[in-house]
Amino acid sequence: MNEVNMPAQPSVLDISDLRVAYGARTVVEGVSFQIDRGEIFGLLGPNGAGKTSTLSAIEGLVKPKSGRLLVDGIDVQKEPLDAKARLGVQLQSSSFQAELTIQQIARIYGGLYGVKLSREQIGKSMRAIGLEEELGKRFKQLSGGQQQRLALFIATIHNPLLLLLDEPTAGLDPQSRRGLWRRIEELRGEGNSILLTTHSMEEAQAVCDRVAIIDHGVLLTVGEPSELIDKHREDPRVLSVAHGAPTLEDVFIGLTGSEIRD
Amino acid sequence: MTNAAVDTARPPLGLAMTSLLRADSIVILNSKTSLVLSTLLPIVILVATTFGKAQSRLGGSSLIIGLALTLGLLTSCLLGFTLALAHDRHIGVLQRLRVTPAPNWMIMTSRLIVQVATNLIASVIVVIVGAIVHGLTLNVGQYLLVIAVALLGAAVFLAIGQALVGLIQSTNAISAIGRLLMIVLLLLGIFGGTGILGDTIKAISDWSPVGALMTLFSDVLNQSAWSGQDTGSLLACVAYIVVFAFIGIRWFRWDSR
Ligand SMILES: Nc1ncnc2c1ncn2[C@@H]1O[C@H](COP(=O)(O)OP(=O)(O)O)[C@@H](O)[C@H]1O
Ligand SMILES: [Mg+2]
Repeated sequence: MNEVNMPAQPSVLDISDLRVAYGARTVVEGVSFQIDRGEIFGLLGPNGAGKTSTLSAIEGLVKPKSGRLLVDGIDVQKEPLDAKARLGVQLQSSSFQAELTIQQIARIYGGLYGVKLSREQIGKSMRAIGLEEELGKRFKQLSGGQQQRLALFIATIHNPLLLLLDEPTAGLDPQSRRGLWRRIEELRGEGNSILLTTHSMEEAQAVCDRVAIIDHGVLLTVGEPSELIDKHREDPRVLSVAHGAPTLEDVFIGLTGSEIRD
Repeated sequence: MTNAAVDTARPPLGLAMTSLLRADSIVILNSKTSLVLSTLLPIVILVATTFGKAQSRLGGSSLIIGLALTLGLLTSCLLGFTLALAHDRHIGVLQRLRVTPAPNWMIMTSRLIVQVATNLIASVIVVIVGAIVHGLTLNVGQYLLVIAVALLGAAVFLAIGQALVGLIQSTNAISAIGRLLMIVLLLLGIFGGTGILGDTIKAISDWSPVGALMTLFSDVLNQSAWSGQDTGSLLACVAYIVVFAFIGIRWFRWDSR
């Protein structure tokens, strides 16, 4: 992408040898990967694999035990506010203040990201995501799909370089899920990069340029979805779970095992 | 590839602070219980004690007003602020705020500013109502001193509340222990102070947060000369603030697990 004599543009995200632990328990171990501009990267893994913990380290919510985290070349631990200004975040479980209306949430979170929105602009944005009737409602009064659209709107309010979405389609109906995929494509078209976590192989194949499979805090494999299928199609663990030609899900189950996680 | 459209500038801190203050003010104004606790309840006490002999039994009108002021601070700081903080931690509001480019200290400071401002306004209202219904005339200096003591009291109870959320993760446990603690502090401060429970309890009571604040409030309202007891009460309050704020900040966790 870069000419030899041009200054290299830093990766949007550069994680090397990340280790996250809660107390004595290590839940992310030696994770390294990069995300390029305009790329949609999927982090796949069973429950408890360490996906949220990896994102939390990038978001500055947990302090890594070791490793290096660069967002647009900026060290997340040394300059957290500069890094956070480049990140748009939709957490797996979070909420907005229960007393605030949708209108107030848009205005206040815009301000937190340095974006001043007028009443008209908020009205227009909410119309675009089908929430124009809900401006006076509270977050709790919205349906799951509406909450997700608002959360995504807030996450992208400052047009972030990198968008972090933690299981954004969990609990959504198929219509909302497709709607979100379309929005993700649009964001990529606008130059944003996206790191999302998911359990859904369909989703990974539909929207992700590259995926990584993580389990027990360790990255097992990284690549384009089709590449991963090719790379692991001869793996006996994958063959033993495949019905016919191996799919991405077969690779996933083959590498992470059939045991059920909670 | 160019990224002209993508925003990488760090937003101005002033705008972030105004946004947080706006959010916290809307929240506190919407929370009816908090307003009731900090203003209406003390006023009910002030009015109720004008009837019958309650006044003299509890030690005169200045002590009653002191009690009303202390009660307002105690309930709105130890319960209102603390439960709201625990609740916001539980449902993930704090984490949502923390991933924005607003620094952590700012998220907390904004909450404290709005809380303390509410307490000061409520205290002024309570003391004005108290002076009227109990027939006291206060000078400007006394009003200022009442505000100063209210500030001190708010700090004491906020520090204790912060220690609670610092040491306990569960919102339900915080709610239960907060209520219990409030009742114990109140009973200790009021009835221990009368001496009917013996000298040891009286001494503990005088040094307890509620007892110390009531001493300061009533001496300000009485215009009595500064006494050794006042110095003791002031030092006790400062000690409570330092110790509990340290505990509350040192062990505070932003997440709910
Ligand atoms: N705050 C925390 N304190 C202690 N353990 C945690 C915490 N958050 C997550 N864990 C544990 O770390 C492991 C990884 O969790 P997580 O990153 O949430 O996985 P995932 O998002 O892939 O489901 C799990 O075993 C989980 O129980
Ligand atoms: Mg998770």
